[in-house]
Amino acid sequence: MTRLSKDTSMLGRGVKRKRSCLEELDAEVLPDAPRKVDKKQDVDGDRDRGDRSDMSRLQQRQVVLSLCLKKLQDYQAGMELSLRRSVLLVNTLRQIQDEMQSDRTGSPDLHLHSINPDSCLLRDDFREDLLVTCPGCAVGNAEGLSPSLFPEFPSQEANGSSEQHKPLSSPSCSAVSDATNATGYLSDLALDDIFEDIDTSMYETSDLPSACAAGSLWPISVSLWPDENMKPFCPTHASGGGLQSCLMDLNELDHIIEILVKS
Amino acid sequence: MAGPGGGSSDVQWCFSQVKGAMDDDVAEADIISTVEFNHSGELLATGDKGGRVVIFQQEPESKNQPQCRGEYNVYSTFQSHEPEFDYLKSLEIEEKINKIRWLPQKNAAQFLLSTNDKTIKLWKISERDKRPEGYNLKEEDGRYRDPNTVTTLRVPVFRPMDLMVEASPRRVFANAHTYHINSISVNSDHETYLSADDLRINLWHLEITDRSFNIVDIKPANMEELTEVITAAEFHPYQCNTFVYSSSKGTIRLCDMRASALCDTHAKMFEEPEDPNNRSFFSEIISSISDVKFSHSGRYMMTRDYLSVKIWDLNMETRPVETYQVHEYLRSKLCSLYENDCIFDKFECCWNGNDSVVMTGSYNNFFRMFDRGYRHDVTFEASRENSKPRSVLKPRKVSTGGKRKKDEISVDSLDFNKKILHTAWHPLDNIIAVATTNNLYIFQDKVN
Repeated sequence: MTRLSKDTSMLGRGVKRKRSCLEELDAEVLPDAPRKVDKKQDVDGDRDRGDRSDMSRLQQRQVVLSLCLKKLQDYQAGMELSLRRSVLLVNTLRQIQDEMQSDRTGSPDLHLHSINPDSCLLRDDFREDLLVTCPGCAVGNAEGLSPSLFPEFPSQEANGSSEQHKPLSSPSCSAVSDATNATGYLSDLALDDIFEDIDTSMYETSDLPSACAAGSLWPISVSLWPDENMKPFCPTHASGGGLQSCLMDLNELDHIIEILVKS
Repeated sequence: MAGPGGGSSDVQWCFSQVKGAMDDDVAEADIISTVEFNHSGELLATGDKGGRVVIFQQEPESKNQPQCRGEYNVYSTFQSHEPEFDYLKSLEIEEKINKIRWLPQKNAAQFLLSTNDKTIKLWKISERDKRPEGYNLKEEDGRYRDPNTVTTLRVPVFRPMDLMVEASPRRVFANAHTYHINSISVNSDHETYLSADDLRINLWHLEITDRSFNIVDIKPANMEELTEVITAAEFHPYQCNTFVYSSSKGTIRLCDMRASALCDTHAKMFEEPEDPNNRSFFSEIISSISDVKFSHSGRYMMTRDYLSVKIWDLNMETRPVETYQVHEYLRSKLCSLYENDCIFDKFECCWNGNDSVVMTGSYNNFFRMFDRGYRHDVTFEASRENSKPRSVLKPRKVSTGGKRKKDEISVDSLDFNKKILHTAWHPLDNIIAVATTNNLYIFQDKVN
């Protein structure tokens, strides 16, 4: 049972897990589906199996969530994404989000031990309104641009210093909204007209110093689970503070790092 | 019409032909993306990822071998669509043929509609087997003669020539779809047709290319509220005012164009309540309908979702009248299938000529037939190993329990890269066309 928890983080790196690991998850996880039951089991075995299937369900939820985000982030440059696929992925994501939320309100202790150690990041940031209202992510069009650089326009939103939560929420909020935007939902809006006089050429490279020089206040989106087993998507994560300070206010940086590393 | 009931109890299916390259290395452009018989069954069209259409024609039954139905041989090949580039969005538009639909034949020529993601084209396929000879002013090779050398006059005559089949684009219906076209359907009035993309359905007149009517629009004002897309649409076989469209949430809406110009409000909505025992994270994805087809009678329609085929009576919206499990053994594998994206595969389905049997594809190059009358179902495999001419297909079985019988294949041994998404049934006979990745298999029932 325990062999699965560490491995789940591997998914974020794009390393394919052995088929058998997923199949074990598959086999355990459908708590309500009729399962072939060994008639010789005893009552205690039933109870253990029940607990185990709860754990497996949570693990599967985690796996599915990671996969969902990964799939939403992956896209082939120059090819339009299938809207059907994107909608199904986002709906699955929302379903998991809702379930996590109701778990949280129902039994707040449950997730602290069983799920991803960064669940508090989830708690803070996975509010259902993020998908709709996160202003930094609602603006702009991720098509054709590397998801690692999100050309935000700080002047567009009143983020300033007023809301301290905004920078906290943006990293993973942008993850989901990046994902949503990357699907091209907004592609048929005339966003190009709004931004046509803004030179975005410097944002279209993954060359950080130039982005830094542009003075963008928004951090590079930290889109995947900042698990200790994984390199985060954000190349300017905790290890290199110098570069990131170009992009963010130091106080905000510390606060975020603290939460991400959960030390 | 086909044999008694076409039921799988009395039909023995035999291999007839296989078309396409033999080697295992599949060229991307050769991947078959659609298969369709014409209304007489004499012609069989395939479209591929490279934008080409290949039409096969059935040879007339030979007197020498009355037991065999005619073989299908290549009749015409043409490039229907080319890759394009959308400069506004900086995106490629694939040339892959998503659907082909034949028009009913009105004269000597054949017409079909073929579509990629954005543009529909009407093609005319005509035969030329005579040519004029004996011009006064031209030589046979086309060079003009010196008029001074013309001393007599003659009337040119038509002489037979080798059959030439020409395909020419007669209409191009472009710039009407923002999203990817997934369906086209010719109306029973033979004058109009519909085209459906993820969010809209347009009605066209076959003669008019610069205008179309939008008849369904499910695009929300705020795209972030989008939760459902259109997955397939079809006109009723003889009620020219009626069409259906299916959604990614497993619903089918039937619309009546007489009610209003914009059919956003459905006349009927078909939806089966979800079985709470089967609820999982993948419930919505597997409920997404990948194909919808009216029966020839017009009384029923069939839908295909990831794991099952459902037959609906148009008079009953609450639940299907029949449900057939295609590969229920995959239900416990959904997480893996989600990871490798197979869960998003879109399988098609089809009726036989008298609506007694339905067919759909699966993985491992398996395809399934369900006999509605006899309540039998059978699984066959399209493979080169079973490709001896007129060899009878052996039913295949997937073992789900612990013990695997001889000749059964276990779920873990299935090849998920070998999927049969497209199948077609001859409108009159027991002849089926089954497309694997890049090969087209033709099977027939054993005659006598």
